[in-house]
Amino acid sequence: MKTTFMTAADTARPIRLNENIRQWAWDSLHGKYGDEAMANFSVSVDNVAGFETLSETKKYDIAIRRIAEEAPLRICKEELVSGAATLGEAIHHVVPADYKGKGICSSVSHLTIAYERVLKYGLKDYEERIRKQLENREIQGRNREFLESLQNVVESIKIWHSRYLEAVRKVKPEIYTNLMQVPLAPARNFHEAVQAVWFIFSFVRLCGNWPGIGRIDALLGDYLKKDLESGALTLDRAREILASLFIKGCEWIQSDTPAGSGDAQHYQNIVLAGIDEDGKEITNEVTYLVLDIVEELGISDFPITVRLSSGTPEKLLRRVAEVMKHGGGVVAVYNEEVILKAMTDYGYSLKEARNFANDGCWEVQVPGKTNFSYHPFDSLRILHKEVLKDNTNSSFESFEELYQAYLLALREQTGRILEYEQQKFDNRNAPVSEWRWKESLPCSVVSLFEEDCIGRAASYYEGGAIYNVRSPHIGGAPDTVNSLYAIKKMVFEDKIVTLEELLACLRSNWENREALRLIAKNRYTYYGNDNDEVDELMARLVNDFAAICKELDGRCHINFPAGASTFGRQIEWREGRSATAFGAKKGEILSSNSSATPGTDNEGATALIKSYCKSDLSRMTTGCALDLKILPQVLRGEDGVEGLMGLMRGFLALGGFFMQIDTMDAATLLEAQKNPEKYKTLSVRISGWNARFVTLNEEWQNMIIERTSQGAI
Amino acid sequence: MEQIQRKIMVTKIQKFCTHDGPGVRTTVFMKGCPLRCRWCHNPETHQAHREIYYNDRLCIGCGACIEQCRVDCHKTENGRHIYERSGCLSCGSCAASCPGGALECCGEEKNVEEIIGEVLKDKAFYGSKGGITISGGEPMADPQGAVAIMQAAKRAGLSTALETCGYFDAKWIPVLADCTDHFLWDIKDCHDPRHIKNTGVSNRRILENLTLLEQYGAEVTLRCIMLRGVNMDEYNLGGIASLFLRLNCCKEVELLPYHPFGDSKRKLLGLEEAQRQEWIPGGEEMEVAKQFLKACGVRVK
Repeated sequence: MKTTFMTAADTARPIRLNENIRQWAWDSLHGKYGDEAMANFSVSVDNVAGFETLSETKKYDIAIRRIAEEAPLRICKEELVSGAATLGEAIHHVVPADYKGKGICSSVSHLTIAYERVLKYGLKDYEERIRKQLENREIQGRNREFLESLQNVVESIKIWHSRYLEAVRKVKPEIYTNLMQVPLAPARNFHEAVQAVWFIFSFVRLCGNWPGIGRIDALLGDYLKKDLESGALTLDRAREILASLFIKGCEWIQSDTPAGSGDAQHYQNIVLAGIDEDGKEITNEVTYLVLDIVEELGISDFPITVRLSSGTPEKLLRRVAEVMKHGGGVVAVYNEEVILKAMTDYGYSLKEARNFANDGCWEVQVPGKTNFSYHPFDSLRILHKEVLKDNTNSSFESFEELYQAYLLALREQTGRILEYEQQKFDNRNAPVSEWRWKESLPCSVVSLFEEDCIGRAASYYEGGAIYNVRSPHIGGAPDTVNSLYAIKKMVFEDKIVTLEELLACLRSNWENREALRLIAKNRYTYYGNDNDEVDELMARLVNDFAAICKELDGRCHINFPAGASTFGRQIEWREGRSATAFGAKKGEILSSNSSATPGTDNEGATALIKSYCKSDLSRMTTGCALDLKILPQVLRGEDGVEGLMGLMRGFLALGGFFMQIDTMDAATLLEAQKNPEKYKTLSVRISGWNARFVTLNEEWQNMIIERTSQGAI
Repeated sequence: MEQIQRKIMVTKIQKFCTHDGPGVRTTVFMKGCPLRCRWCHNPETHQAHREIYYNDRLCIGCGACIEQCRVDCHKTENGRHIYERSGCLSCGSCAASCPGGALECCGEEKNVEEIIGEVLKDKAFYGSKGGITISGGEPMADPQGAVAIMQAAKRAGLSTALETCGYFDAKWIPVLADCTDHFLWDIKDCHDPRHIKNTGVSNRRILENLTLLEQYGAEVTLRCIMLRGVNMDEYNLGGIASLFLRLNCCKEVELLPYHPFGDSKRKLLGLEEAQRQEWIPGGEEMEVAKQFLKACGVRVK
């Protein structure tokens, strides 16, 4: 039987690859290689004499070399590039080498490493630069140990490389020829370039790290162009070569993990399109090949984000929409112009900013040069816990007084994040310029590919990276804004309840106050409905939070730019949250990222985009994401492609930052059927007919679910 | 100026509509219709006046409506809220007081300025193709209102589309053609006796109006609802094909399978359920109908 890949769209996914490759992809997506990796969990260093007495760096060095020597090799029948991250412990974000049954070292994520240099100069260049640095006798102690550790990484890659050479020599002559050249020497053509990127990427992740891949079309576009022009390669063959990278990229999927729905998975993000350092749009054949591959195979394990701007070719916008239609949130979009403004306003040079990629999720960074992490916190909990004192403090005479008290608490919270980061430095009694990074975990594999670790003889964690970014992320801002707005309206403007009485309702989880709760919930228009009054409150909070971060910035060797996110934390945060003034009960799951609080957005996708864009999102330097869910029936046929293009155009024109569109599947409708309260506003539309889903009786709901799953609406 | 102040009864202004004409559109549903199609999926748009939706599943029995009602339509019997529609003035004060949204007004008067203002809110999404669609009910049941909206939309630089059953006074055709970029023209049935039986009116005027529209260079999509056992025969499909082939203004035909979801709203309006499962065409039957039209040379969407 031929393989088919699931889609939320009304038309099947196109077929461009041959059936053998498709079957290989199917196996990879269904956990064949992830299961295999779990069966080879890690290598052991038990036989190293005196291991316990070694420094952490030396232990790490031994572990990396042992992995290179002993990790099982995998060569798949259909593969056109070789290398595989075959040890299961790496999937747990740990260096997969154990001493007496215990792990040795954790590993690194939230970064995109630099591949350009490997492609251009080969690994030999790294070797040479490290050697030159070591000649400098002034570099001593920890810095010298670090450089030697980098040398060990290069040697380990060479060991792993020679094992692969030997293994593919007879069975894969073409791959053998390529591996004779890369990654040690520069790539000369597209196939070698793909092999080089994959080889480095897979070694880095074999050692437990989860880097992003970044701007793959910028990396590979010129190689492909040259090969197509010379006739050395056809587009179909190029697609097969690139598909190998994507299929192998799914090697960590296990058979019992749930299918991805646009989550960051292992952070192996890819960024497409956008302008180069000189401001020229880079969209090229590789951009389209990547979209072809994920459209055909439904691979969501490489979350893809496309940089859009007013200069985006119409053809690309359409292709993005066509791929989006299949669902899964596989392709998301950036608004390049807003992000460049955000980064240059923050202080990056325009040239540097133009290279932006991300940390593996959607937080933007300069790839290959940035040590990044973010600190999410629950802004709603601060309101109820610290400002309203567990909903007992009703002493506020005006809304403004309440809001100012909230900002004060927000500043304290942000200050605590900074203090935490400042702990990472020694010599803190001296002026900031003399603060030194404390010793941290060894991370030489990642450091090798991160500028300027070699030049500074310092690791990624100890000041080696050019940019060190810690971004405080405000979480649940839509819920906080809705709460503040409900209090503003009900208590201070319409005066239908006193603050004291309202807080009593929140303490009792609205017990015996159902009518008032429903008034709070239904009579006011909250964030996400294109209502200027509440959206302006959101804009104000965004500006104020950004200003707080800015004020605290520059107080150690890290950058402290603002951002906003929850990712999935709204689920765990619900336990610590009380009932809310906008009518939610304790324990409800509230907003995700910058999306509306579930059940409060009645006006659909365009209104939500408008609300989101009314804030100056360029103040959220590292990012703020809008997640949209759309019913597949809305996206039926060519109309649906036009619809998605319209949403993206609006998102660009209005000043969005990052947007991910997922099409709602039948499972969501089933969930809405079970919990109508949470999906009160989910409206369904069938040609000229429209109704809210939850107002339908079960029989009708079932019919819609059935039609949705058949794509027949 | 007189036209701007005109009040138009609207049931909903729906954003991000993708199937109501080219591109992304905002659809304005107007109230009132001269037809009474047995299969109508928007029964709330039959009457031109405001009505009240009542959804007993959302009622929490708070009694706020009883206090508000001037004519005692709301009462409690055995602890249950009863809404007696006879004598109801549809004033909407009960709906305004209902916390849970169990009672809701269906139909709100808006002037042209308000409608266009609401539609312009989404201008950033329309691109060069999208814009406003007016639908219903039958927009041309209020021809002055419909034309006023379309003219104002054109002045605001919006692409305009009209979804119509085609049953209106022919004198409006020239002015309508002048302010409408796309017509979504419903053909319920080409077989007239059946048309009369199932919609309450003859299709003659509808077909004559369409023919008349041809002279004005309009762009028309024929929209045809498909009901099994009602209109999926060669008489209707052949009629649709010949309309398409005869009239240059018809750019394509869209076949829409009947669905019975209109009953969900009949219930909220206190009306008898009217619709039938046996009318729902299967996927194969739809395909046969499409292929029939294609074989005749029709461009089917």
